[in-house]
Amino acid sequence: MLSGGGGGSGGGGGGAGGGGGAGGGSGGGRSPKPSFVSYVTPEEINLTEKEISRKEKQPDLLQGEVIFCSASPIRKCTQDDFSQRGIFGSLFCTNFRISFISDETQLEEEEGQVFKNKLYGENDIPLTCVDNIYRGFDEKKKLITSGSVRNKYPSKIIIHCKDLRVFQFSLAFAKEEDAKKIFQGIVHHCLEPKSLKCIFAFSYSEKMTFSSENQTKLKTVMFDSMVDWAQEMKRTKGNCKLVSANADFNISTKYIWCWSHHSGCALFKTASLPLMQEDGCSQSYRTYMERYCTCVKTEELPETLPTIQDIQQSYNKFKQFFLVDNTTEFWMSDVKWFSSLENSGWLDIIRQCLTKAVEVVECLENENTNVLIMEEEGSDLCCVISSLVQVMLDPHFRTLEGFQSLVQKEWVAGGHHFLDRCNYLHKDKESPVFLLFLECVWQLLQQYAPAFQFSETYLTVLSDSVDVSVFSTFLFNSPHHRATTIQPVSLLAQKGPLNLPTVWDWSVQFNSAAQDFFTNPLYVEKSRQDKVPRKTFRPKHQRHQSLPSTAFKSSPKKSFFKDETDSLKKMLRVKRISRWLNPTDLTQSTTREFYEAWQRKPLDYHGLLLPCVDGPALRVWAQRYLRWLPEVQIFGGGAMTLEKKLVDLLAEVRELRGKLDWHCSVDFSHRGAAALAGSSVRLSSAFPFFVSRTWSFKPAIPSCLQKNLITGTFADKEDEDSECLGVI
Amino acid sequence: MLTGSKTTFKVRQLVPDVKGRMQSHGGLHVRGRDHFGLQCLPGECVLQRAVLVRKKLSAAEGGGWLAGTLFCTHFRVAFVAQDSKKPDDSADPVLFGDHDVALASIEKVVAVGPSRTKLVTPSTSLKFTPEELVVYCRDLRVLCFLFDRLTPETQAVEITYAIAKTYQPMKPGSILSFQNSALGSVEMRQFLSNRRQDCHMNWFETAADWEKELERTRAMGWRVSAVNDRFEMATSLPRFNVVPQKVLDTELKKTFAHFNEGRIPRWCWHHPCGSDLLRMASLQNNIYHEKDDIRNLEAIVFGVQQQCVVVDVAEEMPTPADIQLAHTRLRALCLGDISTNASVPDDRWLSTLESTRWLDHTRCCLKKAAEVACLLRERQLSVILQEPEDRDMNCVVSSLVQVMSDPYCRTMLGFQGLIQKEWVMAGHRFLSRANYHRDSDKEEGPIFLLFLDCVWQLWAQRPSRFQFTGDYLLALHDSAHVPLFSTFLFNCQRERSRRSQRLTQSYTPVDGWSEGPPEEASQHPSDPPFPPVWDWALQYSPRRRACFTQPVTQPILAAPAVLNGNLNANPDNHKLNDAVPGSVFLFSRGSFTSPSHLLPWRSGGGVGSYRKSHRRAPSSESLPGLDRLLKAYSLLEVCRTPSSPHDPQEPLLPLLLGPCVGVWKECYLRGALHAQAWAHPSSTSSPFASASTHHPVDQLAQEVQQLRDKLAQVSFSRAASKTNRQQFRRPEANLNRNASSGTFLFSASRPAQVTPRAIPPTSSLPKAPLPKCPITGPAHRDAGKRTFLFGSTPNGRADLRYTPTPSVRLAKNSGSSLKS
Repeated sequence: MLSGGGGGSGGGGGGAGGGGGAGGGSGGGRSPKPSFVSYVTPEEINLTEKEISRKEKQPDLLQGEVIFCSASPIRKCTQDDFSQRGIFGSLFCTNFRISFISDETQLEEEEGQVFKNKLYGENDIPLTCVDNIYRGFDEKKKLITSGSVRNKYPSKIIIHCKDLRVFQFSLAFAKEEDAKKIFQGIVHHCLEPKSLKCIFAFSYSEKMTFSSENQTKLKTVMFDSMVDWAQEMKRTKGNCKLVSANADFNISTKYIWCWSHHSGCALFKTASLPLMQEDGCSQSYRTYMERYCTCVKTEELPETLPTIQDIQQSYNKFKQFFLVDNTTEFWMSDVKWFSSLENSGWLDIIRQCLTKAVEVVECLENENTNVLIMEEEGSDLCCVISSLVQVMLDPHFRTLEGFQSLVQKEWVAGGHHFLDRCNYLHKDKESPVFLLFLECVWQLLQQYAPAFQFSETYLTVLSDSVDVSVFSTFLFNSPHHRATTIQPVSLLAQKGPLNLPTVWDWSVQFNSAAQDFFTNPLYVEKSRQDKVPRKTFRPKHQRHQSLPSTAFKSSPKKSFFKDETDSLKKMLRVKRISRWLNPTDLTQSTTREFYEAWQRKPLDYHGLLLPCVDGPALRVWAQRYLRWLPEVQIFGGGAMTLEKKLVDLLAEVRELRGKLDWHCSVDFSHRGAAALAGSSVRLSSAFPFFVSRTWSFKPAIPSCLQKNLITGTFADKEDEDSECLGVI
Repeated sequence: MLTGSKTTFKVRQLVPDVKGRMQSHGGLHVRGRDHFGLQCLPGECVLQRAVLVRKKLSAAEGGGWLAGTLFCTHFRVAFVAQDSKKPDDSADPVLFGDHDVALASIEKVVAVGPSRTKLVTPSTSLKFTPEELVVYCRDLRVLCFLFDRLTPETQAVEITYAIAKTYQPMKPGSILSFQNSALGSVEMRQFLSNRRQDCHMNWFETAADWEKELERTRAMGWRVSAVNDRFEMATSLPRFNVVPQKVLDTELKKTFAHFNEGRIPRWCWHHPCGSDLLRMASLQNNIYHEKDDIRNLEAIVFGVQQQCVVVDVAEEMPTPADIQLAHTRLRALCLGDISTNASVPDDRWLSTLESTRWLDHTRCCLKKAAEVACLLRERQLSVILQEPEDRDMNCVVSSLVQVMSDPYCRTMLGFQGLIQKEWVMAGHRFLSRANYHRDSDKEEGPIFLLFLDCVWQLWAQRPSRFQFTGDYLLALHDSAHVPLFSTFLFNCQRERSRRSQRLTQSYTPVDGWSEGPPEEASQHPSDPPFPPVWDWALQYSPRRRACFTQPVTQPILAAPAVLNGNLNANPDNHKLNDAVPGSVFLFSRGSFTSPSHLLPWRSGGGVGSYRKSHRRAPSSESLPGLDRLLKAYSLLEVCRTPSSPHDPQEPLLPLLLGPCVGVWKECYLRGALHAQAWAHPSSTSSPFASASTHHPVDQLAQEVQQLRDKLAQVSFSRAASKTNRQQFRRPEANLNRNASSGTFLFSASRPAQVTPRAIPPTSSLPKAPLPKCPITGPAHRDAGKRTFLFGSTPNGRADLRYTPTPSVRLAKNSGSSLKS
């Protein structure tokens, strides 16, 4: 009887459908938990009606996607815990995603499709995007770890995604075997460690052939050939020799040239030397360095910045505020919103990164010295700082293509351990370093919007794409790793090397209309005559402006940057000093001064940009973190709606201009009628991501106030002593 | 010279050498115009000036530094930019230029030397040449003036002294002398007396004004009573009050005694759904109530609606002392203290902000107002706001409710009328709460500023639903700190009209009113006439005023189309047919109770000792329950069909969760010296066109409007004269010039109503090419969507506006709505 499940008893429910009570009774017999009976009844009838139509529903599979298991009916619960509502549908688990297909007819075709991801829909979770899975009890939830899968399956699973969506699926209505299967399937594929080859990108790209023309069309410089580096060098007028010795990836540690300032100094990054390094080797490094750079300041990042583990911990704390299972939980967190945000420390880590980047910028810009940033592996915070420095200094990297090539140069070619840090293989080296970088860029972006060609939405989408295991950009730990991984496959398959799509090929994910959201309508493009990089260094402010506090008065220049000899000494005996050395005291004076001097100049969106790192200036990336929370969405308001309005207005201006031109030459005729066609979605503050439709199944007014008023009347009437009702 | 104390000048704190300077400078200004470029008021004289000073510009002004001349007059500290245009001599006097600050709103001045800083007071003697002068204002502005190397050192020192001696901690005497120096001159009096009140806005001063409001809101069953014409019944109430038609004046007179300060239930506003909003003070419980009185009270309460809900506004709300404390903490947080260099570390900023509780108070007021707005929306009933004194939180809540529910109150004129009605006339104790004279420290509480913050929160969440801008709110915020305006200088209408001598003083109140302006102030015939704050032209340059309203907004209907105030179209609304007529509910803590004794003489208990019904004990879900309802309302807007995106009846409800409530950065943080870059889109402006701080949306909307007009012109001229081809060449050339000069995005030119001064020289504009437009094709698919921000109205006008097909009628239409 129990295994009869979905179809049979559903039919029974339909037969008895006339009487609500009877339907409830049969539901009770079928479901292991009688507590579900009470609120299922209305949906149950719908369920049987849709029984036939559901059979046809299948997720639109991508190339190379295989369904592992499926179950139905599954109820997807809303986050709203007051109305125990949900949509029924089927749950699939494929080698790419967990997909929920609703039984209800899809109305969303007209609205909300503006920003549809081609790879996964709004009810799909790419397997690599799953953050945590919980089993839900009545009120509580328990984290499921990979080892703890037993034969049992919970009636409700809660999935937290890395892009901060939360899904709740109730398995109680499905057949027992199906439910068990899908639960174990999901847990297995999402939480167990697996090998790189299992990642969907490989099966995807085997089937899919990406024309290489497609990639050459992209203007993003990939930095995978000598030419790219040489061009970049030329662009920045760097004077370093291109080292091709590393072509076969056997030298692991080296100085990497990052960027050259127009005054001639350059930024380098390196991994710190292994502890037991023979003298000759370090000697060669020194000579190497001395050959190119007369003066180098060394910056050891681990001394002043949090560790990778700290970042991960802090982010875990931070994201909990936004991963909300039900809305009451959110109301509770609201009371101490600001202080709890602060306690997570995430904003402070962002602040530290930005401050550090400003310090490095100061050295390059003000003191014209070469800077070498060091880190143990040279591929985590080094990447963050060096790319931030470049974003601040070089307007080229604030364009869309420039930014993409920056990520290619510093992160992909720079050997950031994307595979480990993104935790595709569930190996416990996770840390949101790249996200940290995006956060920092977002802070810059929201402070100086007209300076950036890309928009907030672009950053949000980029941060989401990290968790979609399709793109070669984020799949590998280093270029070497990439090369070695791709090569053998091609040998076995007797084909050319695997052609994985890069994330920069946005057409894989979005159509061109959605890609329009990536550009910032406020961006002020550089005018022609400014294109020539200025050779002359801006004269420093003449008069020494002391600052209105004794703390700033001419203190001896002390900063983290040590002299070269000092740093070399240090390199020989690499020793880690306490990291949390209070950074404010030491660096405040010079950096502050530099910052103030910069502020005195009028803001040039194509020059140096320094972030403001003060308490009120750092904000929560609302679009990324709050977009799925209906409770905090401002309908008909918010920044995104403004941006959309701008885009529309710009388009209208263009259109009108065109029309006016055309009008003056050609005869008048009405052509505007077609322009009126189009849907009008009321936008919310989380516009491209969260569309109002999701709420359509909510009651229009859950009028508890109204009920309150009515029942209150009666209840109080009974309550009152009959003598005084009302006033007298 | 030194003993020239015989002068009638009242500036007591002017030390002799300053006075001497005033005399010696006397020849410089002919009819109040200084030849250094400062446009002086009549009678204003420059005490000191310093050349080659640079002023630090805030990010909203474009950042960087502005070179110019710094003046200190005995009324203000003024700064004139070097390349600013020569003032137009025939123009009306403006109290403050764009960079000026009134002496009375300066809180302290700090001189920054090469190695030290010093707080400057009248007795200060500087031992160093100041390089920088930091002026802290009461309205949270911080002005920073930098003396260039080329500034003569004597000038730098002298002007510091001059400012130090003229700005004073406020005292009654200094306020008066300040007012005198600003408005006391003969020319100024003449000028002020010739100024007319803005007749477009409702001042609520006459019975006709109230009638107009009744008519506007379509309220039925109410009349304007002049029973308090001489303030005999209630000294703090306005002369005219709106009461139910049924109640006779004789009956009415008997009710005054039952309420605190005689503040009887009075009508404030009528919701289109048929509900009325009333406000009252709490009942006196120490007098004997007769049977007749009870009947009279009932008549007032149930005169129009059969049901009423009493909302206890004071409950769960901050007291004025709380607000004062929160505001002080907020000030400390935002400004820091430069003399001690004690500022909050960045990583503790958010929690310190939380601990100021200012945002909590804001949320509290908004929540209460949102609840009331929902109540009003529900059904036909009277909602009575009750507060012990009816002069503080009632003002906040009732005006917030109207801002939320009445689109007219979101226009500039409507908002000003609202403040006249709910604050000025209703007798908010502006003088005591603002504490200009520093004599009523216990009374001080910036309740009006809290209200402005609440409105700002609403505005920040949905700016498109307001006609006025954040700049307007900011200007109002700043004006409240300048003790020059009759709006903010008095505690009630009675004092105000005594002062303006409009009323003969035949009546002396029985219970002597103790508070109020100093007696001698009102008796001096020489005292300056105070203008109302709404005379913006007096205070701000046209350029500043141009930023007060959004250039393109939806035309806001003067009155929503409601039939006889009886529209209850929502079928979901169950009417309480079975409700007993004349039942009173008490709404408290998100749930209803039916008080056994609203009127205290019933059981002898004190006011507020309502017995809570245990049946309806506030459950844990009652609080989120109501918030949920509020949320549902805003969702309801979404579910509406596109044809009527906003029902005028739907209240504009704020979101009150932590992430949604923000700090009014443009106001509180503009002074913070180190916080410069701002996220709010309205502050993103071109670095060069510092003169135009318009939001790009506004500018683009203007551009669209202009192009439309041009298109309409072209098509018209084409239709009119098909043969004359030269005629429609001209607009094209116009357009091309416009396009090539690159004023496209940050164009500062506004439609005709602005004086030429508002337009910065075109040459200073950036050669910004057309910003990269992401939409490649023509915009057909967006055409329907573009109305979403400014909304569209159900009537055809809005549709016309957004129809791309041009017509002459359209041009006229849009032109008029632009001005509205």
